[in-house]
Amino acid sequence: MSKVEIAGLKEVLKDTLEVLREEGIFQIETETVGFIDKAEEEYISTFSMDQKALSEKLLLEDMKLRLEELFSLMPKISTRKSYIEPDNIIETLRRLLPGHIKFLEGLIKKKDLLQKELSELMRYKNFMDAIEPIIGGVEKTEEIDFIGLTIKEPEAIPHIRRLLLKITDGRYELFTNRASDGTIAGVIVAEKVLSEIIRKTLSSERIPEIILPSTFEGLSFTERLKRLNERISEINRAVEEVNSEVNRFTLRWRPLYERTLEWIDERLSIMKATAHVFETRMCFIIYGWMPSDSVTTLSRRLTERFGGRVTLVEREIFEEDLERIPVMLKNPPYFQPFEIMVRILPLPKYGTFDPTPFIGIFFPLFFGMILGDSGYGLALLGLSIFTLKRFRKKKHVQDISKIMFVCSIYSIFFGILYGEFFGEVGHKLFGLEPICIERRTAVIPMLYFALAVGLFHVLIGLLLGIITGIKRKAKKEAIAKFIDILLIIATVTGVSALCGIIPERFVHPIITLTIILLPILLITGGLLAPLELIKSIGNIISYARIMAIGLTSVLLAFVANRLAGMTGNIIAGAIVAGLLHLVNIILGIFSPAIHSMRLHYVEFFSKFIESGGRRFEPFRKI
Amino acid sequence: MEKVLIAFAAALAIGLSALATAWAQSRIGSAGAGALAEKPELSGTVIILVAIPETMVILGFVIATIILTTK
Repeated sequence: MSKVEIAGLKEVLKDTLEVLREEGIFQIETETVGFIDKAEEEYISTFSMDQKALSEKLLLEDMKLRLEELFSLMPKISTRKSYIEPDNIIETLRRLLPGHIKFLEGLIKKKDLLQKELSELMRYKNFMDAIEPIIGGVEKTEEIDFIGLTIKEPEAIPHIRRLLLKITDGRYELFTNRASDGTIAGVIVAEKVLSEIIRKTLSSERIPEIILPSTFEGLSFTERLKRLNERISEINRAVEEVNSEVNRFTLRWRPLYERTLEWIDERLSIMKATAHVFETRMCFIIYGWMPSDSVTTLSRRLTERFGGRVTLVEREIFEEDLERIPVMLKNPPYFQPFEIMVRILPLPKYGTFDPTPFIGIFFPLFFGMILGDSGYGLALLGLSIFTLKRFRKKKHVQDISKIMFVCSIYSIFFGILYGEFFGEVGHKLFGLEPICIERRTAVIPMLYFALAVGLFHVLIGLLLGIITGIKRKAKKEAIAKFIDILLIIATVTGVSALCGIIPERFVHPIITLTIILLPILLITGGLLAPLELIKSIGNIISYARIMAIGLTSVLLAFVANRLAGMTGNIIAGAIVAGLLHLVNIILGIFSPAIHSMRLHYVEFFSKFIESGGRRFEPFRKI
Repeated sequence: MEKVLIAFAAALAIGLSALATAWAQSRIGSAGAGALAEKPELSGTVIILVAIPETMVILGFVIATIILTTK
């Protein structure tokens, strides 16, 4: 990373920022600390916008709000992309915008009214459909009145009958039928003189009466139904018309307005960036950080574009700058997907190790060692290829799929070594035999293997810690880590000698070595250093999970096959085995992934990573 | 009788460590969920914190396996 200062004449500030934005490799520094000497501070101040730029900013912000309002009124349909530069037509668009918003609001209001009427009519139609078959035979005369009502619960019917009996003295008929929307439609048939009191009682009891729209008054049931269907069709047609008009408008104008919004965002981001620019009487100054390998390219581009009016100078980085230098992860293509796992945690400090390559090597290895089944590996391989092809535009999904792809290859490889293909199915079907170890029975050898891998991994972590210490000129820390390595090796050798794995004659020299090294460890690493040593040994033992989780995975596969065999039926057995293996595959993705991640984050990273790095966030197009 | 004692010892090794892990993870998990609601960028740290007590049950499992397999 390089510390850079760009200076130029004020009149080309906007164009310079545009170039920086296009390049997308320059992080603007908002503070002047480390860039300006105390003596120079009085000549340099924060850049302030002139009246013209300020009013342009306000205008663009207002237009952005209006555009967002317009987009909220437009339907989400796919439209073409516009490549028109709004620079020259922005004023025309600004004048058109209020009219377009009003036009769309009018159409949407009209549609809302139509839909409200439609919903009312549909309610009435449901009622009519339910009631017509049961009152078709009732004689309709001048003296008889029909009162429609909706009853929500069937239990309310006896209550309504009691009320009607009380107020009409039995001179009524109540017909009910279930409507298609689940409610109960009812019609009270009574003399016209009783209508008013019935309506009042229903209202006081909060029983909703179905009131006919005025256009339907005086029509017979058949005529009402016919008129109702006609009106529903009319409304549906009108809604369709409004929809197509809105769609036509959207197809015509949305691309242009979307491009305009993009253009406004670009302009506003440049204007916002000017807040972090500094100025002298004649010039502007931009301080910032950029990758060292791009300095020459950017410098050349600025010279080509502005002649001598803008200049780029690379400044010297001092020790006090180390805390502020942004950190950028830069890895070869194979390791790039694994950066996602580093970004979950706070970034490492500038000048320390980027752990991505180590994750790229060890994460799939641990994953494969834990899952270790060719069948599950193949299933995972298929899934990763599917997600890779299906979600081409989603970077996160692509990264995770690529990690999954590598992990599946390792799983297949270890599956062949362990002789596992959906548990022991491979052995039964193809005579697959373990090449090096059978996990289900060789528990203790697997434990030794896992611990050996842990020892190797933790020692690499400590070695990286030594290099980091030397780079940071923290000699004591580096020596303490070196002694940690020696003591861990001594402890492992001692335990191996005591367990009879190596000859017992090694025990005495190891004890002597430990006695010599411990005081040095206390001097270099402080009082807590022995505790760190014990923690490191605990970390190595923690790698036993590679064996433990792997064993549970293989036993689950074994159980799935045993249960399938116990059904005594090929189809039922296949279903049981399929379901249990599916559960195991799902567990097989999550469990090894989580545990491998943890082995890195807790056991490995703690040996050399110093977190607290500042993320590199260049000024670029969003 | 010896077999019963061996099985009981293995069960204690895995059972007690599993209970301890479960208790620790429940406390860390609920606190972590609260922290994530406020600061989603802490997801990495929370994963680590939740995963730390798992070592207990893994070690319990290893001890139980050694008890059962050592003759």
